[in-house]
Amino acid sequence: MNVDNKFILGGQEFQSRLLVGTGKFSSVEVMLAAIKASGAQLVTVALRRFNLERPSDDLFSPLVRLGVTLVPNTSGARNAAEAVRAAMLGRELSGSRFVKVEIHPNPHHLMPDPLETYEACKQLAKAGFIVLPYMPADPVLAKRLEDVGCAAVMPLGSAIGSGHGLSTAEMIKLIIADSGIPVIVDAGIRAPSEAAAAMEMGCSAVLVNSAIAAAGDPVAMAAAFAQAVKAGAAARQAGLMAQSGHAVATSPLTSFLAGIPA
Amino acid sequence: MGGASKWGAFFMNIMVNGNKHDHTGSGSLDTLLMELGAKPDAVAIMVNDQVIPRADRAGITLKDGDCVEVLSFMGGG
Amino acid sequence: MITELPVELDPSSWLAIANSASETDVHRAMATTSPDEADFAALVSPVADGLLEDMAQRAKHLTESHFGRTISLYAPLYLSDYCPGGCAYCGFAADRTQPRRRLERDEMIREFKALKAMGFEEVLLLTGERSPKADFPYLSDAVAEAAKHFSAVAVEAFPMTTPEYRELAAAGCVGVTLYQETYEPVQYQALHRWGPKRDYANRLDAPSRVLEAGMRYVGLGALLGISNPMFDTLALYRHARLLRRQFWQSGITISFPRVCPQEGGYQPPFLVDERFLARIIFAFRICMPDVPLVVSTRENAKFRDGIAGVGVSKMSIASRTTVGGYCEPATSPDGQFQVIDDRDVATFFTALRAKGLEPVFKNWDRVYNLGLI
Repeated sequence: MNVDNKFILGGQEFQSRLLVGTGKFSSVEVMLAAIKASGAQLVTVALRRFNLERPSDDLFSPLVRLGVTLVPNTSGARNAAEAVRAAMLGRELSGSRFVKVEIHPNPHHLMPDPLETYEACKQLAKAGFIVLPYMPADPVLAKRLEDVGCAAVMPLGSAIGSGHGLSTAEMIKLIIADSGIPVIVDAGIRAPSEAAAAMEMGCSAVLVNSAIAAAGDPVAMAAAFAQAVKAGAAARQAGLMAQSGHAVATSPLTSFLAGIPA
Repeated sequence: MGGASKWGAFFMNIMVNGNKHDHTGSGSLDTLLMELGAKPDAVAIMVNDQVIPRADRAGITLKDGDCVEVLSFMGGG
Repeated sequence: MITELPVELDPSSWLAIANSASETDVHRAMATTSPDEADFAALVSPVADGLLEDMAQRAKHLTESHFGRTISLYAPLYLSDYCPGGCAYCGFAADRTQPRRRLERDEMIREFKALKAMGFEEVLLLTGERSPKADFPYLSDAVAEAAKHFSAVAVEAFPMTTPEYRELAAAGCVGVTLYQETYEPVQYQALHRWGPKRDYANRLDAPSRVLEAGMRYVGLGALLGISNPMFDTLALYRHARLLRRQFWQSGITISFPRVCPQEGGYQPPFLVDERFLARIIFAFRICMPDVPLVVSTRENAKFRDGIAGVGVSKMSIASRTTVGGYCEPATSPDGQFQVIDDRDVATFFTALRAKGLEPVFKNWDRVYNLGLI
């Protein structure tokens, strides 16, 4: 996105281009160990009712101790108003201005609502949040969200938890081509190779949750993802080799330029 | 049914996270959190659908029938 | 006062790459599905001259994907050659001695009808810099009149304000072409000796104002040869890219006017030959596959026939660059530039069809303008 190729969100530079989510882990201990192994600096969390039955269940303090930047998400919100309120609450807790706007009214496929997402982002950007919207991989919506002040766009690779990889690759490429803000693929990544592919494509970062949490060994998988994201980013910087056979040669086209001294 | 106890502190019925809750105390949010076993820094609070910023907590006195939501971070993507 | 080129347009950091790229760089640029600035720099670099045939093949393939096997046609129409300007390279500069005129309404209508009789549906109305005889109201009225005759009306005149561009759009204008001439500020000042065009920043900013006003497209270009053509080409690329990012709902077109040496007059400091011209046209096509690329009758028939459909998607033909030139044969050669390809429409069409290209007069209709503002 920028000339010196840094990953900058909300005016802050981040070294790690792997973001992780904290859902679906078997235990808090495993989750914390996985985050550490991933090297992630940005970690998403959800807002839920405090568990009155088990008051000692506290995610907040151990995460703060890890020194990561918390990105509260608005999952659970079914519309813009609920998302905005969730963002306000999250900001209260996290103390940071980051918010991941996540509005998926259909509980089966969890696809993001483009209209409510746009509305929520418009309000939250105005209110000074660093807005990271989870969105369908739609190039026009991506520019709309950029226009209203989002700090990045997060197009889905495939449905949350599906592990179907970058099924929206063609759309993501269009988004990257026109975007003036970082593009962070979120949802659907299953394997580190897919994270590397996203980076090679030109994404600024990737967000991974289920693929780590549901892996056989989440901590090892988190480390693998960290390596993959670094490899993909480095490969892009290094300039990938040309693919062969781009066009079948037809009759010569430049004879009209012959005889002109170069 | 709320009323004053013989010790002068209030006794009131409020809703907390969708459940009925008997609060015995001054009606301050900090007292409520202590009752619930929640660390003040690890939760966010709404009273009657209004987000209460941390700085404003001291100014809130709960009354009978109030709906309180106490929220904290849980795992999420 | 010399204004600096804004950093987001300044191509200085890319000049070194553009001059030192390798064949591998050029091949990679041709193969990638999303070429970036480094790829463009490689494609315009000197080493790319040796790979022109490969670039042409790629350019043809991309032109076909995005434009089909068609060439869009337009006609330039000079409304007025009044000009207070002092551009060293231009046939209309204020110190030229030929008598000036402008078309009055009935003359305009005669010109429009002559063009329509030739088949044209898209007209590009031209004037010099803003002057009392050819001011905004004159231009706006001309657009409104032209819109009654043509499916698409575009304008190449003087920089205007955003509200003026909005008014122009409301009158029926779909596109505004405005060449920066050169992006290099020092040379710009030297060449624009007097007149309103000396305001470099105002001109540079004008394409943004065009798009802010909701115009369907803005036409960009640099007058190749009046300054370092590599610098201008790279800056033009940056300008196009920036405008596309900012105004993602609008279109841009890119033209490639080459300045000609004038008999006893302006001698351009840089020689831009046809191979260089082809190289940069191919580079733009490869890096911005969906942008219309335009070549006028400044170029000769052989070049135009060769480049049609191989990068270039839009062309003029049978042009007259004198005021009233379509109805009256030109008695003096003092048009804004000399028409080199002077073939008539039918001859040109035969040449295009021999290449498997279909000429298209109409690609738009003013009914699509509804709801523009």
